[in-house]
Amino acid sequence: MSEPIISIRGLRVVYHALRGVVKAVDNVSLDVMKGELIGVVGESGSGKTTLAMAILRLLPPKVARIVGGHILFDGLDLATAREEELRKVRWSRISYVPQAALNALNPTLKIIDHFMETAKSHGIRDRKWVVERASELLETLRLEPERVLNSYPHELSGGMKQRVLIALSMLLNPEVIILDEPTTALDVLTQYFILNLLRAIKEKYNMTMMFITHDIAVIAGIGDRVAVFYAGKVMEIGDVYTIFKRPAHPYTRALIKSIPTLTGNIEEMKPIPGTPPDLINPPPGCRFHPRCPYAMEKCKRVEPPMVELKPGHLAACWLLA
Amino acid sequence: MKWIYRRLIIVFLTIYAAITITFFVVRAMPGDPIDALAQELVWKYHMSYEQARQLAMSIAPFLPKGDILHQYIRYMINFFRGNLGVSISYSTGTPVISILAAAIPWTVLVVATALIISFTVGILIGMVMAYKHGSKLDSGLAVLFSITRSIPEYIAAIILLWVFAFELGWFPTRGRYDYWALEALKHGDVFAFVWDVMWHATLPILSWIVVHVGGWALGMRGSTVSVLGEDFVHYAVARGLPSRRIVVTYVGKNAILPLFTSFMLALGFMFGGSVFIEYIFSYQGIGWVLYQAIIERDWFLMMGAFDIIVVAVVIGALLADLLYGFLDPRVRRPA
Repeated sequence: MSEPIISIRGLRVVYHALRGVVKAVDNVSLDVMKGELIGVVGESGSGKTTLAMAILRLLPPKVARIVGGHILFDGLDLATAREEELRKVRWSRISYVPQAALNALNPTLKIIDHFMETAKSHGIRDRKWVVERASELLETLRLEPERVLNSYPHELSGGMKQRVLIALSMLLNPEVIILDEPTTALDVLTQYFILNLLRAIKEKYNMTMMFITHDIAVIAGIGDRVAVFYAGKVMEIGDVYTIFKRPAHPYTRALIKSIPTLTGNIEEMKPIPGTPPDLINPPPGCRFHPRCPYAMEKCKRVEPPMVELKPGHLAACWLLA
Repeated sequence: MKWIYRRLIIVFLTIYAAITITFFVVRAMPGDPIDALAQELVWKYHMSYEQARQLAMSIAPFLPKGDILHQYIRYMINFFRGNLGVSISYSTGTPVISILAAAIPWTVLVVATALIISFTVGILIGMVMAYKHGSKLDSGLAVLFSITRSIPEYIAAIILLWVFAFELGWFPTRGRYDYWALEALKHGDVFAFVWDVMWHATLPILSWIVVHVGGWALGMRGSTVSVLGEDFVHYAVARGLPSRRIVVTYVGKNAILPLFTSFMLALGFMFGGSVFIEYIFSYQGIGWVLYQAIIERDWFLMMGAFDIIVVAVVIGALLADLLYGFLDPRVRRPA
């Protein structure tokens, strides 16, 4: 694998809620390698989206705060960068496909205007170039450019809007695209279709993609590497093959066992007992210990360190340390 | 396009129904024009009622003839021919339509200026409040506006009249313009006339603004707060759009949409509400005419003034429907 393009080190993000401080991302370190498609997997509320928002520094300003760590991108620390520097990075170098695709476009603007204003905001005033580039992207995503560009958001279906957002994210040819559950709102067939397109696009334009999802099966088909999140922490990182064939962390193993398969026996599927912890008062020690079948005394007291099992495969568990 | 014809038929029927109701309600009022005039003569000259009524009949021989149904039919036919009858009380026999035509521009001047200023200012303040949601400025203004918007216009008018016209003497107490200004106009000094007109209109306009700006600001604040929570606003920030663009095209445009219909309807309602303000400032617009007509039981003038107000409200609603599509593509109809 090549060198990292984004290096996250010891990142901590908190939300100030009425009940207390929510430690949504707690001491997370993660490298995103140039040209890879890395999947970030975790249950709802495990801090995946917060991580994505932190990279682009789009966290709600009054509620959320980055309280520690670094996000290094091309010599710049995005965790502390000034707004003006961020504006230059956003979209032209790191872009983003939002989770709530159905409502991400301005209802009073045509699709073409969304492309135009995005380009203009980054200093591109050549209308013709934008139309050509947008048409090319939409065509790659198997949409009719003519019709789609002249439509208003409400005239498009959910799957079409989702693809428009993907095209929009690639408009300025960014180095990294963060996709936050880009297929969650879609039916399985459209989902499959878009996932294949994403893979193809990544190869064609040599982009780096960070793919956030709660559906670990989705990553199996298209990802290079996977980072497994649980309760604001990374539990395991490794390449797709290793994570699916030889998962090391009990949480990852449990997660994979819970996937329904076409041919498998339904009895072999096992849900993970219990619910994710409250992030205002997370359990001491390993955050997974209350639900872990192998939990030991030590797990309840001391947080396990991240250990490298073999090059590129890391997990945080006392069974492995 | 079929839709527009349907809409126009509804407009026609609404106006027709309103005029019919107005006709019968006006007629159901106690007293008639001759009676009102006779009462006045009795009070002024201490005549007997019989004498006074005789005299009144000779001054204003315009009491409609025939039974009420015939009168109604005649009125409707004349109405759609553009003939609203003649005034009974005004300098006898003046056509109602010319009295209204002389009064309407003055009301439009006051009402439209007040509406545009209070809407614009209210929208801007409302957006600032939404952006500073929860701050001291926001909650302070929210309390202030909740109070000002519940003040009836005529109370605001009386307070303004008392403070700025009687006590401070900055503005005139009554009228649309001074005599000298009219003379100046005759001598070609348009600017002096316009200046005097604006000077006279200031307090009536201000009365509207004081009461209405709060409503617009609070409406816009609520609307903006909900738009600020929309995904497309966050997504616009992510795309690196300049904040100016986000404030105007993303937040402003979408937040104004729900207020637009109220804006168009407000014009008509303010027309109706100008009775009090024009009475207080003796401002001879349509409200003042209506007030005079009611006092004098001037049936035709009363009906004419009511009908104009109805037409203003209905046309406002029609325009709101027609123009809304320009602002919001989601309700635009295929041409």
